[in-house]
Amino acid sequence: MGGRDTDIVLLDENGIRSDGRKVNETRKVTIKAGVLKNANGSAYIEFGDNKILVGVYGPRDVHPKHMSDTSTGILRCRYHMAPFSVGERKNPAPSRREIEISKVIKEALQPAVMLKEFPRTAVDVYMEVLQADGGTRCAALTGASVALADAGIPMRDLVAGCAAGKAADTVILDVNNEEDQAGQADLPIGYMPNLEKITLLQLDGVLTPEEYKACLEIGIDGCKQVYEIQKKALQEKYFSTGDVKNG
Amino acid sequence: MASSVIIDSLKKAHILELLADGKRLDGRSLEQPRELSIDVGVIPKAEGSARARLGDTEVVAGVKVQPERPFPDTGDQGMLICTAEILPIAHPTAETGPPTPDVVELARVTDRGIRESKMLDMKQLVLEKDKSVIGVFCDNAVTDHDGNLFDVCSYATTAALNSCKLPKYEMQDDSPVKIENETIDPPITTLPVSVTMARIGDYILVDPNMDEWSCLDARITITTNSDGNVVALQKGGPEGFTSDQLIKCAEISVQVGSKIREIIKEATKGSN
Amino acid sequence: MSNDKNRHVIPGEVITTGSYRSEQNTFTEGDKIISTVIGLSDVRDGSVRVIPLTGGYVPKDDDLVIGKVVSHSAMSWQVNINSCYEGMLPASDIFGRDFSSHSDDLTSKLDNGDLIAARIVNADKTRDPLLTISGRELGKIDSGELMYISPSKVPRLIGKRGSMIQMIEGATNANVTIGQNGLLVIACDDSNGLIKAINAVELIEEQAHVANLTDKVNEMLESKSE
Repeated sequence: MGGRDTDIVLLDENGIRSDGRKVNETRKVTIKAGVLKNANGSAYIEFGDNKILVGVYGPRDVHPKHMSDTSTGILRCRYHMAPFSVGERKNPAPSRREIEISKVIKEALQPAVMLKEFPRTAVDVYMEVLQADGGTRCAALTGASVALADAGIPMRDLVAGCAAGKAADTVILDVNNEEDQAGQADLPIGYMPNLEKITLLQLDGVLTPEEYKACLEIGIDGCKQVYEIQKKALQEKYFSTGDVKNG
Repeated sequence: MASSVIIDSLKKAHILELLADGKRLDGRSLEQPRELSIDVGVIPKAEGSARARLGDTEVVAGVKVQPERPFPDTGDQGMLICTAEILPIAHPTAETGPPTPDVVELARVTDRGIRESKMLDMKQLVLEKDKSVIGVFCDNAVTDHDGNLFDVCSYATTAALNSCKLPKYEMQDDSPVKIENETIDPPITTLPVSVTMARIGDYILVDPNMDEWSCLDARITITTNSDGNVVALQKGGPEGFTSDQLIKCAEISVQVGSKIREIIKEATKGSN
Repeated sequence: MSNDKNRHVIPGEVITTGSYRSEQNTFTEGDKIISTVIGLSDVRDGSVRVIPLTGGYVPKDDDLVIGKVVSHSAMSWQVNINSCYEGMLPASDIFGRDFSSHSDDLTSKLDNGDLIAARIVNADKTRDPLLTISGRELGKIDSGELMYISPSKVPRLIGKRGSMIQMIEGATNANVTIGQNGLLVIACDDSNGLIKAINAVELIEEQAHVANLTDKVNEMLESKSE
């Protein structure tokens, strides 16, 4: 990762990126809440060319029993990529990368979910990447928050995800796959917009202290934009009168 | 999985009562499958894809193609592997971890239905005999489970393969090299379609939903090809069938199968 | 009693600020009262709560629930009550205090798949909720049409002091047993009445949030549709 030779022009002389975006523009994001029949809560998110389906079950019984906590419900997350989601077919078995991302997303959602009211239960969040194009963990996190709200899991806030990064020596917002491969840094962020707390933060690449601050600023702004889409998705399902759809 | 879904006694009694009148809980007749909708190209970055929805059961199938070394005894044929996974989002009882016997059966039956029908002419998928062939993978992901995964995986796979585009490869210095922006149509010989039937008491039901699946005595999945020939069979469930019932099932699967084949053709029109 | 602060909220949204008591589905951060769920905020008498529009059933003492027996041990049945906790019905509830696990076979009274109307005796979250079926209108359910609605819609189906459900029962001659957990059983000898009752329930579930729902349901019940 980082600064490979490439034919792609990451940033042209007008400040336009390879996919036509400006440096502080996110890709197009659409979210639909309540798309699965069986899951207690669900969401389908398209974040640029990323396509991710999230299902939530719970609170529910914990198996095996020794994993349950008598003082609180527990949160379990699984981020998984379909074999057909990436350029070269991926083996269906969970990779170390997926295991790490599952953990990082869980710790991004943990500060938001309130499970003390549900001792001895588990809330399971399953994120399935059907098509990947860079920034899947932020998109998966974004969808997971909507699915959790859809399931009625009490939360202090939603968590919105968006990555900042650096390509062609410029700080950019929402790194796509091409930019991730050929760029210089990728900084995924998870953010609770009302409580103003960052709950997911990672870095791949090298940033000066100024660039790091700039990335945080632009990234948080990106998260706020994504939050508006999350809100819209929930409002569309629950608050539009007349045209009621049940999932 | 059927055994872990306990159907409530009122519903089961209701199912049996209705069957005596030739009816089912959801209003269908005994030989009527649920409404099927198929969309292809839902995963544009994959070489082929389809989402099939049969009632409330939904499967997304994706086709990936890459050059492979052929199997030692079939150096003159390409490779085809079909898999299936029940995603944990699909049902409260779906587990993560290594596949359970139900899931293994689903994957193997899906694979056999496509393979035995010879849907793809494997001899046309060779780049260099004994050295390099085209490997086609079709992976099914069940996203919502309301019974009868066999059929939905069959339809999603057939639609995805029928509408896929294979990359073009050229051998350069003994290695296959992909030619950018050029694709070839897959060598399709037939369209296999499976039809699953459940026996509850003396009644045969086509396309059992989850409730019916949870109280069936026996089930049979029959895959037919475009010529109306039977290419694969799988019997399951705790009880048995009489041979008369099995003959009737085969007849039903040809009739119902041909209608479903038309739906798949319609959905994949324009792709090949 | 002004409800002008009542509106649709999602988790994390500030409902109001100031010195209010934070009640169901809210929490405080500084002087802000914030919603934890998707729902309708309800500000009154110095307290704030949110009526959720989604989420499962949380067992409460004395609730009437409809459950499905899913397994049993030597001393009790485990009952699925459509909640994150499974209900526990002790064998002594049916067999009496002289219950002996050697001589009294549990499955002779209740087996897997059986439906029961039960009352929650103790919903203490450190253990599975305790159920009882000894009481009027409680016990095994042998017949009728089982329906599921979202637990958040049950109050609307029952109506103020039972007005909505009584209207439905009156117009259709059906007898409806409603569990607070979202399950209900409709018993009706007349198949037209049964269908009308089912349609009424479905209408209420679909339009629980719409104004003049009572009129719509009334209209539907009175129409001589076939």
